[in-house]
Amino acid sequence: MVAVEAISLTKAFGDLLAVRKLSFRVEEGTIFGLLGPNGAGKTTTLRMIYGVLKPTYGTAKVMGVDVRENPIEAKRKMGVLPEDTGVYPRLTAEENLVYFGKLRGMDEERLRKRIKELLDILNLTEKRFVVADKLSRGQKQKLAFARAILDEPPVLLLDEPTLGVDVMSAREIRKMIEEYAISGKTVILSTHNMWEVERLCDRIAIISEGTLRYEGSKEDLRRIAGKREFEDIFVRLVRGEVIEKAV
Amino acid sequence: MRKLFKGSSGVVKISKGFGQKGYSLPPKPWLVVAWKEVLEAFRDRRTMLNVVLLPMILMPLVISLPTLMLSPKTIPPKIMVVVEDPRGMDLAKEIEALENSSEALVSIVTDGGNYTGLVLSGDVDLIVDIPEGFYENLSSGKTGRLIYYYDPYGARSSVAMGVVQRVVSEYSEEVLRRRLEAINLSEEYIKPIVSVAVQVTSTGEGATTGEVVTAMVLPMMVGLIAITGAGTFAIDMIAGERERKTLEALFTNPVSRGQLLLGKFGALTLLSLISGLATLFSALIGVGFAITSMSESLAAGSVPQLMEPSRLLYLTLGILITVALGGLTGNAVMITAASFAKTFKEAQQYVGFLTLILVVPMVAIPYAPQSFHPVLRVLPISSLAMFARDMIVNPGDLGAIATSLIASILYLIVFLWLSAKMFGRESVIFC
Repeated sequence: MVAVEAISLTKAFGDLLAVRKLSFRVEEGTIFGLLGPNGAGKTTTLRMIYGVLKPTYGTAKVMGVDVRENPIEAKRKMGVLPEDTGVYPRLTAEENLVYFGKLRGMDEERLRKRIKELLDILNLTEKRFVVADKLSRGQKQKLAFARAILDEPPVLLLDEPTLGVDVMSAREIRKMIEEYAISGKTVILSTHNMWEVERLCDRIAIISEGTLRYEGSKEDLRRIAGKREFEDIFVRLVRGEVIEKAV
Repeated sequence: MRKLFKGSSGVVKISKGFGQKGYSLPPKPWLVVAWKEVLEAFRDRRTMLNVVLLPMILMPLVISLPTLMLSPKTIPPKIMVVVEDPRGMDLAKEIEALENSSEALVSIVTDGGNYTGLVLSGDVDLIVDIPEGFYENLSSGKTGRLIYYYDPYGARSSVAMGVVQRVVSEYSEEVLRRRLEAINLSEEYIKPIVSVAVQVTSTGEGATTGEVVTAMVLPMMVGLIAITGAGTFAIDMIAGERERKTLEALFTNPVSRGQLLLGKFGALTLLSLISGLATLFSALIGVGFAITSMSESLAAGSVPQLMEPSRLLYLTLGILITVALGGLTGNAVMITAASFAKTFKEAQQYVGFLTLILVVPMVAIPYAPQSFHPVLRVLPISSLAMFARDMIVNPGDLGAIATSLIASILYLIVFLWLSAKMFGRESVIFC
């Protein structure tokens, strides 16, 4: 079943066309990598899917729900880790999770259980009563990740989840992403990290200048391009060198 | 100060219990948002300092300090009476009697020495010179001349002048009464015209000066506090969230912008009410100090008349409705400005400017000519001030009250719509 479908997603900021008629499908239970250089339109694409930017043209469907027609219902199906963690500095780690859990309609019992579980898994239990302002970058990122999977939504959208994070925290986050997908959930991952894509993703889309350069499995991409090094393939696609062959 | 809120490890010490309350909140998104906003506000040292603690300390000082400092009872001024005319000792003794009521410290001398040096050094606040021939002039029906030496820039000198002139005036009236008696003339003979003021009010009841001042100033003050208290919180809730980059994550939740705004609005109203009450409470403390330090004749009759049941109902209603409408309107305006601004700093500038715009009509209403009133009743913000005024001064004029009330409600709806519109824009997150 298709978990996420982007249908001709287009976003213009004034004269600047940030994303041009982007279409792709993400199957349920897979990890989908969104790759591209800075300013390629990855974050804008994700933002249109998770409903904080309105597409100029086109739409997206999450678990069959149109994000333009029914944004609230669509948001119920998604957990999001935005580019900036967005944790509240004056709230404690626990309060940050309580806030989002309650906004997502979780009842007290389930919320208590889930927060305890997530803080344990992500080694944040001793930071439970510490204000987020005092957490390290890695701890904040883990907290934001915990927030995104709090009510176990069927689709998880992650924008650079390991960027600027220490090795140990990045490792924990990657492990959680893998486990989340194994449990049958869908993950869309925007990243610069080639190694991360190679290791985690089932399928990938490469975007450059707001345009889709490639969409398919990483194995297919390697075969079509005839190269072993993933980074080389990425660079060539972004430059437009192998567009004809790849797409 | 930092440790008051959290330890060096960042573990929260206070409001921890309130934080835990979040678990048991009912599933109303606006209530959850309001809970978080209040929690954050209590954890923000700057906000609490500026909006609650500072007014509570500053307001009583600002209001009571000048009155306290100018009250002769707080620090009695030092007065030196130089009696060059020995027969002028009667008047000197009258001035010396001020010491009995602790209104002055008086010394009587026959030779004052260097007047300028004494006054400028602050050793004496006022020198009253009773020159030779003073009594002779009084007893022969002429004018007795007193000479005051004082520092025009010194507040204590002015206070001393005030108390001495009161004594001298009473003494002068007594001399005048004796003179008139001696030639068989009544006081009416030298006062050919006496003015009689008749108060014209819509209620048909008279009012004391204190009542009028209190009735005019109190609703305006309450309205001002309600309108201006919200600015700091509104900036933090909208522009602050954007600057801390938490808005984007917030908007990913399955909650409408309307619900989020409602929660922020609710918290803003509660916080501005706390701030307003703190300011009002401290202002009343200041006024209390000021009244206590005023002389008894001035303080008497200023407030108690308002407590008459018929006036009390209108006063209470006027204050409550003004606070509610003023607070909500102010909050809507502040949220609109904070949503429109691109940065925290820009929001502060807009809010500062708007606060001024909101304050001016409130302050100006008591001084506006009567002919402007119909227009002022339908203009933004001034309609609110006019409503407050009409409830106290014109409780019988229901048409005027209804006009200003309806206009105020309509403006509130417009500002609310505008704030929702601004908060719903994409640029509220991304500038």
